Amino acid sequence: MSDGDRLTRPLTREPERKAGDEGGPKGPGIRKPEGGNELLKRLKKVDPDQAKKYRQRSGQ
Amino acid sequence: MARILAGLETEYGLLVSGHGAEEQIDDATALVRAYPGECLSLWDYRYESPRNDLRGFKQAHLTIDPEDAKFDVGRARGPDADMRSDRVLANGARFYNDHGHPEYSTPECWSLAELAKHDRAGELAVLLAAQRFTQLTGLEATLYKNNTDFHGASYGTHESYLASRTLGFERIFAAVVPMLVVRQVLTGAGKVGAETGASCPFQMSARADFFSEVANVDTLFRRPLFNTRDEPHADPVKWIRVHVINGDANMMTACTARKVGLIKLALQLAEIGEAPLWRLSEPVRSFRELSRDLTGSMAIPLEARSWTTPRDLLESYFAAAEANLELDVEDSALIADCRLLLDQLSSAGYPAIAPTVDWAAKRVMLDSIVASEDLAWNDPVLKAYDLEYHNVDPDLGLFHALEQMGSVNMETPLEELGSRLERHTEPTRALARGIAVRRFKDRIQTAAWRSITFKDGEDLLELELPPDLTYPTELADVENVDSFMSMIGGLV
Repeated sequence: MSDGDRLTRPLTREPERKAGDEGGPKGPGIRKPEGGNELLKRLKKVDPDQAKKYRQRSGQ
Repeated sequence: MARILAGLETEYGLLVSGHGAEEQIDDATALVRAYPGECLSLWDYRYESPRNDLRGFKQAHLTIDPEDAKFDVGRARGPDADMRSDRVLANGARFYNDHGHPEYSTPECWSLAELAKHDRAGELAVLLAAQRFTQLTGLEATLYKNNTDFHGASYGTHESYLASRTLGFERIFAAVVPMLVVRQVLTGAGKVGAETGASCPFQMSARADFFSEVANVDTLFRRPLFNTRDEPHADPVKWIRVHVINGDANMMTACTARKVGLIKLALQLAEIGEAPLWRLSEPVRSFRELSRDLTGSMAIPLEARSWTTPRDLLESYFAAAEANLELDVEDSALIADCRLLLDQLSSAGYPAIAPTVDWAAKRVMLDSIVASEDLAWNDPVLKAYDLEYHNVDPDLGLFHALEQMGSVNMETPLEELGSRLERHTEPTRALARGIAVRRFKDRIQTAAWRSITFKDGEDLLELELPPDLTYPTELADVENVDSFMSMIGGLV
């Protein structure tokens, strides 16, 4: 896809990531956010397909 | 050292229950019109000149997104002004429908902290409008302060900086472009996945995928790193408005202030001819590649087969500023804050900067979810969580949950934001505009950033609002329009 062209079709699934293709901590080193209840409560309410369904007009 | 007047414009993502992008322009129009606060329904478009180019010519037409244009095929719309439905608010801000996005443009500010708070007050403005919209229509409206729909459509968060016309395009371009490339390390909002180019799990900048040119006048398609639109919203003989379009919509006021402060630093240095001379060989490519390097340390190629790092580049601006500028308290605090964050990022990685940098906070939140739910980074639910980080409803948004939990720094309370929608207290020209809206509604024919036009019997009187003046709060106590105009005339 050339630079600047917007997608004209639904997003294809991204290829499976290769080991080490993103930075940052992994596995046991990760801490849950403190007082995770409020976040967990809200995460449960999120429609997993919300971003899939979310379409916007292109703006500036 | 001349202080730099600045403002922020945020186009909000809008999701209305049962509606899609086809109805978005009509929905955004209705939502803006539902704004329940004190305001005037008008705008003066005479000084808008989006096709004028800082390089000294006028573009024949602006490029539009051909995919987006398909939404309008066969749909008749009324006059442009009706669709935009401009409101001038009691604090001097502008609220309107921009291409289907409710857009809140802050009152002009000198202070970084004040501007960041006004930007956040915009969230309250759209929430109030959404609540009233729901009462009127029975439709639920969700507002997202973000920059993408994850399907290739982007909408902007723009910054405006007033600079002297004598500076000229070349000096501003040279000073600002390196900063436009690297500031994302300390100011990006973060995004799951990629919408152009090779896939990636997560990147720092929400906007980097949508920029393909170094400099041009366009904003809707083939967007440039440096936007050359010459539309000063002030006397064009004296002023240039530097229109920055590559920044992200931030949920954290600290990020917003940092984003603006770094560009102000570059402009202040340009003004005295002391901006560091960096010649990036591929600035657009570097902007996009740096977005995908969560260490923030990648080599940025320079001309003559050399290279630098974001940290060295930023430090060169800080050192030049300390050596050559009379730094105020905010400038000094900005530099100290940025240095600390760069140290923390370098020594402990992005979790260390999560409390005050949006992309890092979002990434740490997603790391914990990925780990606890054993998700792959291409699971679509992560984009849903990304989107909901930007939900401006304090009872639903994930950023607001992190704030409540103390995972990110606390923001200004809503009560304080409400008062900012009612009046502007910093003595910029927005203070005068806001007072005019509150005191002289019936006499105002039209208004814009640059001026207010009053009705005077059969005549019209246009009052110029020079952007460099200090406007006294006593303007709120004048008896009538004549004394209001006289007092401002006496400031010049």
